[in-house]
Parts: sequence; C-alpha cells; structure tokens
Amino acid sequence: MGATREQIAQVQARGYSGWLSTQFAMAPSTSRWDAMVAAKFDAIEHKNSENGIDQALWRKLLSSPDTLRQRVTLALSEIIVAGIAGFNGSGWNNFSGAAYMDILEANAFGNYRTLLQQISLSAPMGEYLTYRGNVKFNATTGALPDENYAREVMQLFTIGLVQLNNDGTPKLSGGLQQETYDLDDITGLARVFTGWGYDLTGTDTNSPGFKKRPMTMTASRHESGAKTFLDTTIAAGTDGPTSLTRALDIIYAHPNVGPFISRQLIQRLVTSNPAPAYVGRVAAVFNNDGRGVKGNLQAVVSAILLDDHARNSNRLADPNYGKLREPVLRFSAWARAFKASSPTDAWAIGNTSDPGSRLGQSPGRSSTVFNFFRPGFVLQNSQNGGAIVAPEFQITNESTVIGYVNYMQNAISKGVGDVKADYSSLLPLADNAQSLIDELNLVMVAGQLAPATVNLIKGGIDSMPKGTEATRLNRIYAALVLVMASPEFIVQK
Amino acid sequence: MQKKDGTSASRRAFLQRASALSVAGVAAPWAINLAAMAEASAATATDYKALVCIFLYGGNDYANTVVPYDTTSHANYTSFRPSFAHSQAALAGTVLTPTAVPTDSAGFAHQYALAPNLASLMPIFNDGKLAVVLNVGTLVQPTTKQQYANKSVRLPPKLFSHNDQQSVWQSSSPEGATSGWGGRIGDLFQSSNTNSTFTCVNVSGNAVFLSGNSAVQYQVSTSGSVPLAGLKSPLFGSAASTTALRTLITQSRSNVLENEYNRISKRSVDANEVLTGALTSAAALRTVFPTGNSLADQLKLVARMISAAPSLGAKRQVFFVSLGGFDTHDAMLTNHPVLMTKLGDAMAAFHAATAELGVADKVTSFTSSDFGRTMAGNANGSDHGWGSMHFVMGGAVKGKRFYGTAPVVANNGPDDVGQGRLLPTTSVEQFAATMGGWLGVSDSELLSLLPNLSNYNSSVRKLGFV
Repeated sequence: MGATREQIAQVQARGYSGWLSTQFAMAPSTSRWDAMVAAKFDAIEHKNSENGIDQALWRKLLSSPDTLRQRVTLALSEIIVAGIAGFNGSGWNNFSGAAYMDILEANAFGNYRTLLQQISLSAPMGEYLTYRGNVKFNATTGALPDENYAREVMQLFTIGLVQLNNDGTPKLSGGLQQETYDLDDITGLARVFTGWGYDLTGTDTNSPGFKKRPMTMTASRHESGAKTFLDTTIAAGTDGPTSLTRALDIIYAHPNVGPFISRQLIQRLVTSNPAPAYVGRVAAVFNNDGRGVKGNLQAVVSAILLDDHARNSNRLADPNYGKLREPVLRFSAWARAFKASSPTDAWAIGNTSDPGSRLGQSPGRSSTVFNFFRPGFVLQNSQNGGAIVAPEFQITNESTVIGYVNYMQNAISKGVGDVKADYSSLLPLADNAQSLIDELNLVMVAGQLAPATVNLIKGGIDSMPKGTEATRLNRIYAALVLVMASPEFIVQK
Repeated sequence: MQKKDGTSASRRAFLQRASALSVAGVAAPWAINLAAMAEASAATATDYKALVCIFLYGGNDYANTVVPYDTTSHANYTSFRPSFAHSQAALAGTVLTPTAVPTDSAGFAHQYALAPNLASLMPIFNDGKLAVVLNVGTLVQPTTKQQYANKSVRLPPKLFSHNDQQSVWQSSSPEGATSGWGGRIGDLFQSSNTNSTFTCVNVSGNAVFLSGNSAVQYQVSTSGSVPLAGLKSPLFGSAASTTALRTLITQSRSNVLENEYNRISKRSVDANEVLTGALTSAAALRTVFPTGNSLADQLKLVARMISAAPSLGAKRQVFFVSLGGFDTHDAMLTNHPVLMTKLGDAMAAFHAATAELGVADKVTSFTSSDFGRTMAGNANGSDHGWGSMHFVMGGAVKGKRFYGTAPVVANNGPDDVGQGRLLPTTSVEQFAATMGGWLGVSDSELLSLLPNLSNYNSSVRKLGFV
C-alpha cells in the first residue's frame, strides 16, 4: 500500500522472501464489519445508507499493519468486482460493502476456489449481480432465469472470453481467437444460480447480519432440470447447493483460470504488460503450488513478487515497463509513508470518486463489475497507440491529472477530514533541500527519481525560506507535491 | 505567447495532408489521394456543425423504451414480460403518431409508444425534430436468421458482452480498439478548427468512440476544465516550485506510460488557459436544465461549449456524454422509468438550449448503447440482447418518423435469435454513416471510417434521417 522507513528496514534485514513470510503470517486487523458494528453503524437509522463503509475501507487501506494483505485485497477487489452503490436489496449497502471486502481479505492468502465459492454464496454478490431471488423457468409467465451472474462469473472472474495458452496469450485456430462459451452456455449455467436468497432465519432485515451469512437455497425456486454448459451436464434432479458447487468446479477446471487470473494479478501488482513467459511461470504456480494444489494465492503472490521480471532492475530501462500507479495507491503511499492518522478514528476521507476535485477513484466504488479500468485497456492517441495496454489510463484524463495534484496539495498541507500526516521525520531534514528530497525519493519512489528530476525539485525548494518550523513545513509540502507529481512516482516500476 | 500545441499540431497535420495531395497526383494510391482531397476541403469548412453521442451504458431495454402499442404487438409484449410491461393505459399519453407507419418484414403495420417517462420527448417528435431508428445494432454485413444460425457469415465478435459490444458500437472492434468513428470523424475535421484540441470533447469518461488516429479526445468535467492550483498561484509561496511543477508534469519522457501521462497533463494545462476564458465570456444559457441528473449536467456543458465554439474557432465538433445503470437484469419497473426520465428530460433541455443558441439545426444528437435486451424477461428484468431502438434528435433531423424495419414481437420469431434478442436489420455503421454524411464526410471517406460499410449496397449505406 506504500513503503515506510520501517518496512524498508525489514526488507533489508530479512530479504524479499523473508519479508513476504512475515507478511503472510501477520494476524489480520479488526474486520471492516466488526469496526462498523463497534461504531454503531448497525443502528436502524443507517439501514438505507452507505454510512460507515468509506471510513472502514480507508482505515484498512491506510493503517492496517498487514500491508501486503491489504494490497492483495485491493487487487482482488479490482478483479472480482462489486461496487457499494450496486448492492440493491433490503438496505444496508454499507454492510454489504464490508462483508464483501472482508471475504476478499480473508481469502487474499488463501485459495482462489474457496474464494469463488464464498463470493458466489455471498449476499452482496447475489445483490450486485442480481441472482439473489433469481427463480427457475416459470412455465406460466415464460420468465427465464436471470443470466447476469452466469455470464460475468465466467467472463470476468474465471475464464474470460477466449481460449488462452498457459502464458496468457490467446489460442489461435486458423489465425482466429476461439471464444470460450456461447449463448447456450450462458442460459444453461443461469439455471444453476436460481433459488438463492437471504438467510433471515430467526431475524429480519432491520439488522444487517443477513448480509454476512451465506445465502440459502429455497428448493422450490431452484431449477431442478438438467443444466448444460461448457460441454458438461449437471444431471436433472441435482439440488441447488450441489449444483452450485459442481458448476464452480466445472468452470474452475477450465485451463484458462490459471493464466487469466495470474496475468491480471501481475497487472495489479507489478506491471501492465507482463511478458508471456512471466505469466506462464506464475500460471504454473497457480495451477500447481508444488504440492498439487491449484489456486494457492499465497504461492501465486510470492511467484509474482519474487519473479526476475518483478525484481531485476534491468527492467527499468524497458520503456514499456511498469504500471500507472492508480490514484488510491498514490494517496495511500503518502498516508502510509507519513503515518497519517485519524485521531477520532473517523477516517473522514469519504468518497473520492469525483474526477475533477478528488481522486477520480474510490475504494470499493467501481461503477460496474468491469472495474474502474479494464485489464485490456489500450493507450489511445499514444505515440505507440495500441501496442501496449495501460489499464489505469482508463480513469486518466485532462480532469483527473489536475484534480489529483490539487487534491494532494490540500491533503499534504491540511490533511483530509480528520486524517493528517506526521512530518516529524522530515522536519530535521527540511532545511537541506537535497536531504529532504533524498528521503522522499527513497520512501516514496524507491530511489527512482532521475537526477534531473531531483534537480528540478531542488531548484524549487532551494528558493524557499527556511529556519523556522513554518518555513520547514512549507518546504516539506512543496517537495511532497512535486515528488508526487513527478512521472517517476506516477508510474510504479 | 507561444502557439498552443493543438494549433500547431493541426496545422502540421494539414500541411502533411496538403503535401500528400500534391504528391498523390503523381504516385500515391488513389485512396490516399481521395482522402487527402476530402480532408483539404473539410479544412475549409466555414459553417458550424456538431454531433453528440449519448451513450446509455449497460444495454438499454428497447422494449420498455419504444414500446409496442398496436393490439397484437402489445399483447405479445405483455405476455413475454407480464411483471414489468407498461399497460396500454399507461402508454396512452405517449403514443407516437408518425408521418409514415412503420412496417415489419412481412408488411404488417406497427404502432409504438414512448416509455411514459419519456413524455418530454413527445413535443420534439411531434415537431419533426426527433426520429426513431428501429432495430439497429452491431453487424459485419446484412445477416439473416438462417445465416446467424448456420454461422455462415461473419458476426460481430463477442456478442452480448458489455465491454466488447460497447467497443464495437463505438469503433467496429471489440475491447482493445484504438480508435472510434467519432474520433475518426475528428481526424478529418480537426484541421478546420483553430484549436484541434476542441474537436473531440468528452464530458463523460474515457470512450474509444472519440479517439481518432490523430484526433485526441479531450475530457472536461461538467463544470469545464480544471485549473491547476499550483500554477494559478505560487506553490506554497514559491514561484520556482511552480515552474518546477509545470516542467515535471509536462516534459516528455522516455518511459511510454510516463510520457503518455505527461502528454495528458500538458494538454490539460494548455487547453484550460483557452477554454476557461471562452466559457466565461460566452453568454449564460437561459434554458433550465434538470438538476440531480448527471446526463443533463454533461449536456449542459456541451451546450456551453457549443455557445463558446465561435470564440474557440471550432467548426466541427463531436461530443460524448453518457448515462449508466441500464443493465436492468433486475427491478426493471423500479429502475428503468427513473433512467427514462433522466434521458428524456436531459435531451429535451439540451434541444431547447440549442434552439436558444440558434444552432438547433447545426447540432444532431443520437443515443447508443451496448446492446438491446431480451423481450422475454426473467422474473423482474431482462438479459443481454443485440439490436435495439435509438433516437436521433436535432433541427436537421427528418423526424416524426421511424427508420428501419419494425421487428416482430416474438420469442424466437423471424427477427430475433431467441428470447427476443433482436437480430439487427440496420447496422451501426449505416447509422453512423448517415450522421457522418451530414457532417460533411464524403461517401468514399465513410468507407474508410467504417470498415464494414462496404458490405452494404451504396444505396442503403445512409438512412436519410438527417
């Protein structure tokens, strides 16, 4: 989520894999759900609201000590997407958001198949992709099962639209890509996701508990006929819960899952255009962690982060390497580096979606299941347009590039809401521009600021008065704005 | 003061084309010659015209937008979606009385009504400024149901997938496309504008529709361009830091991603200096736009930019705005009417604003969407489909009419591929060609703009609605 002096020291002391082991072993912090209950957001007046969810998400992103788990959770939330505004049904969008993100976090170092099961049974996903309350074919009205989840669970969460090689490149036949499924597969699979509804046993919708409990099956609403998709048939008469597990097993057995998910995780964590060989190495680990287990995310994350293509500094010379740091991660890099805190625990940052005046992105608030940006988004109008993908550029435009700098200028100097940074580590350096910039370069940019960039920033800071706390703070603010606006920071490498 | 980047770029582009023209007479292929000549003539255009794409993200439900109303069709429509059909009584106030009755392929007459919540479009339709295009969608070539079933002709890739069909609508290619037909129109016309940056203007969010091969989509917020605080006044009191900031965010870079980011920043900073002044000096609009309506907010900014077009030196512009939430798998009767109200009210206000500005016949707006939806619904919504009904609006539109062929309301009937997913009888490229032609794109250039248009007979490439 962002480096700190302490994390850098830990990596130096333990090495990359030692640091990863430490991170994997860290205990989770208080869940979003529990934090929201503790803050009494489960009181009835919050039922038809989004109250409490932004603060719960920001608290985790900016302050939870298990930084890697948070980072992988964010990545998963951008692959298996559900947005807070889309949790339609019986109120408590706020708790749907918490329950959903807590599932992603609980499985971030777990198994992808388990995650898929839990997501598919979760009330929030049932709401978001509208299969909660979905019913079997009705011979009287002609109403058919809702196809929404059947389509997106395959297109976005598991196999994608075209057959893939293990290195993530499309399989070609006669020069053409081969689609993974057609309309008949969708209507067949849609029959599986019928009969599911909230578990309201012994309670009602006036408290949010049902958002956290897996959905339950009403057998009379479930399609009991045969379900045929992906060249497989679930036999007529199979009950709903068994059908769902079987269906996910069938989809999960597709050879696309490893490369499809691995490539996207690399894009989220390391670089937008991974070499096929890199994807292939990670997908091999996804398919088998060495102990015969498919979907071991801890092994996959290790494989991604320890790969030569992630670690070798020779990559820095490749003009296509790296990824645009998404706005939420730029903000968290600042907040974590300087231990931003919320004295009232309100984390009152709120919804940062506005592109002209805020970050143009807000955690958990993608407007569709297609995420803030698509993994296949290509650079348009670029001097090498179409040659490479650059997902995060989908939310980058003439408004957001300026809105971001303006927002950070305020955040850096005044904080956001009650969230303010602690610059005590920088104050002793601030009278010396070079020392100040060197420190920011190390903590924020992994030492990647070009000498010319350092000189540009130094020229600015050297012009500023010094010697008092007020002038030192101004020098820190200006240096931080300049570092965070610099291309070397904007593009993570 | 230095010339704006956009101006010099467009002048350069024009010079390149002009030289291509002179060389073409000797050696260059005929097609390049033609294109170059057309671009050169476009560059001399002196009047003003603008095209506005209103994209309905999620796949609009055609059947509850342009509703079958004649007795037979309405009965069928109701039978296929009993829990979320509009009753004939509810539709009585929005029945369309066109100048010519639309017919289906068997020659039967159809009657339609607008969604009740589109009532604000009725006066525009009746005034002849709004047309409905029936069953338009993505196609590679004219396609029969038999050909679809046999897969004996090429079909658009990745049918029924949101992101891909959005892209095919906007660009003729699935996700990964680098240019759309709005942007390619911009390529042709940007040299006629004083500042090429204001040729393709997006008030929504990134959309391939507006990216050209050289034309760039310029994105503004609903309040206009965003000024950089650190440039407006010295950064924490330091003018030298402000200078450093400007350099850092606008310099060219060797890393492709860094360079692209800085190109956007530079365009933003440069354009803001021009646009803010132009918007401030343009007369305030008296037309009242609805509030709490994000589409209306965007269209209001489009109207303000059109009003500023003379001072920006813009002769041809393509705009993109959007409204989301149309993926109505669920809760159709709750959500779709709200969307219709927003759409109808925003379009009506925009039309009024163009009339106020005296440019109603210079501005043509049209709707588009990922795809249509199924006619035969699930319990409370509809699923992904294909062909759909769309609106074209403006003073130049030959309205109060339907264009295209009325589809039979059916489940696996002659005009659908099952569940009322319409097999389009009019292609998006014919729809696009009609508007491109109105803007001044030549027939031969339309063929390079729209890669599949040549699969249609030249007599039907344009539909004549504008």
